[in-house]
Amino acid sequence: MATESSYDNVPRLVDHLFRHETGKLVAVLTRIFGPHHLELAEDVVQDTLLEAINVWNYKGIPEHPIPWLYKVAKNKALNIVNREKYKREYATAAAHLLKSEWTANAALETLFSESEIRDDQLRMMFTCCHPAISGDSQVALTLKTLCGFSLSEIARAFLTTEENINKRLVRARQKIREEKISFEVPQPEHLEDRLDAVLQTIYLLFNEGYNASTGPYLIRYELCAEAIRLTEIISVSSSIVDKSKVFACLALMYLNASRFSARQNAQGEIVTMAEQDRSQWDKLLMAKGFAYLDQAATNKNISVYHILAAISAYHCSAANFASTDWNSILLLYDKLSELDRSPLVALNRAIALSKVSGPETAIAELEKLKDLSPLKSYHLYYSTLGEFYMQAGRFTEAKNALTTAIALSQLPAEQELLRKRLEICNQNGA
Amino acid sequence: MGHFCFKGVKTINHLKSKKMKEFMLLIRTQGDHLAELSPEQQQQHLKKVMTYMGGLMQSGKLNSAQPLDMEGVIISGAAGKLKDGPFNETKEVIAGYFLVQANSLEEAIQIAKENPVFEDGTGARIEVRPIKVMEGING
Repeated sequence: MATESSYDNVPRLVDHLFRHETGKLVAVLTRIFGPHHLELAEDVVQDTLLEAINVWNYKGIPEHPIPWLYKVAKNKALNIVNREKYKREYATAAAHLLKSEWTANAALETLFSESEIRDDQLRMMFTCCHPAISGDSQVALTLKTLCGFSLSEIARAFLTTEENINKRLVRARQKIREEKISFEVPQPEHLEDRLDAVLQTIYLLFNEGYNASTGPYLIRYELCAEAIRLTEIISVSSSIVDKSKVFACLALMYLNASRFSARQNAQGEIVTMAEQDRSQWDKLLMAKGFAYLDQAATNKNISVYHILAAISAYHCSAANFASTDWNSILLLYDKLSELDRSPLVALNRAIALSKVSGPETAIAELEKLKDLSPLKSYHLYYSTLGEFYMQAGRFTEAKNALTTAIALSQLPAEQELLRKRLEICNQNGA
Repeated sequence: MGHFCFKGVKTINHLKSKKMKEFMLLIRTQGDHLAELSPEQQQQHLKKVMTYMGGLMQSGKLNSAQPLDMEGVIISGAAGKLKDGPFNETKEVIAGYFLVQANSLEEAIQIAKENPVFEDGTGARIEVRPIKVMEGING
């Protein structure tokens, strides 16, 4: 029978405890079993949580739930490395230590220590984001193994079926086995490229949360929070010397996240940057963003994250929309276009250009892009163009662009905003 | 064990003074019926259970609760030719029990109905059985 005090623990059970412990335990068990046994590690963790829930459901939550979980996981790990079937397969150095009674206890203590588990999560990021694995699968595998998302939760986040996500995971695990992808922080000569790949996947995760492209929710906070959590694990690692990009990426995510609550009103409608109540911007997140931006400025290498974070910082530091320093932002976009020639960057640059040189100049820029591939079916291209036409008083053209944007948008909140703009065009005789 | 004896004494006094009855709530589930939940959902479920049990404890209605291991044997047959049958965990199993006290069967049923096992698992059943008390013998 549990003591009564264990019921007071309920509010103290940190949100997402199970999810985060899942990510940690899968990482440490993958180190023990080897990345070719990734699925085994995932199954053992699922079993561990199930055992916890089956016992805690009757006896209450123990006073120290995390050590309880770890103890169960340790026992299961010991049982597996001593199993005949497992012994016959390629075993890791960690598994060897666990097989001998002389070393097992000390090895378990070390393997399950906080700093080792943090490093294992970092190793796991490099494994999940290995270039041999396709981009889609990298994201799915990261969410499954490091963030403890279930198939249905990943499927919901990317609006696809569980079957589809499962296929991606199966393919990813298969690649890890076939290509013998290791579970380690890459050697210095490969580190920069591999770190770029990890950051790219994490930033994709953040963006999917920040700019949800479909579905009823504008912002999926959990994806953003997970992206930040993973990047912070990288930022404290001693195996990575040059963290300038890591800090820049964190700065960018925190600065963007600071505007979350102002981007959507109580009715779930989008509030544009011009109309946002800046008192709602989260000062604490913003301060973290600025602090990381300072740390990012440690060497002369300027990455895309540096520029994007600096742009976000200019928005954050403007007292109101009218006083935004658009000249500096346009200069940053010019620099960004040199690093990244994608039409999406050109689209964003056009917004800054319209503020500096007026809507007609920006319209001319955008019209040059109209046949480029992602833009010609991208709702934001047409909504931006529509906005510029409105500013230039060309309401009939604005109406056409906005109608196309509404047809291409998959987000109800966005469509609603566009319809309001369309109504203004109608009132102006379009 | 001392802890348990103390509990028992307290329970009996309680029963006598308030004329409460004891009920055994047997939790029957289809194997590990929570296995399909994600870690997040498992944690949400756990929170509900803790709130549920916290409420029962505060009102003094929970006497005991224990999970049962998902293994064991089933003994059947007759004396002289008893069989230790295999325990089949894929079918319905008794996953655990709650020993509660209530004023009536109706109240015990209400307590059982509020168990979060019905919200998150599938195919769970709870058997509500009054504990038989023979006056003057074990009362």
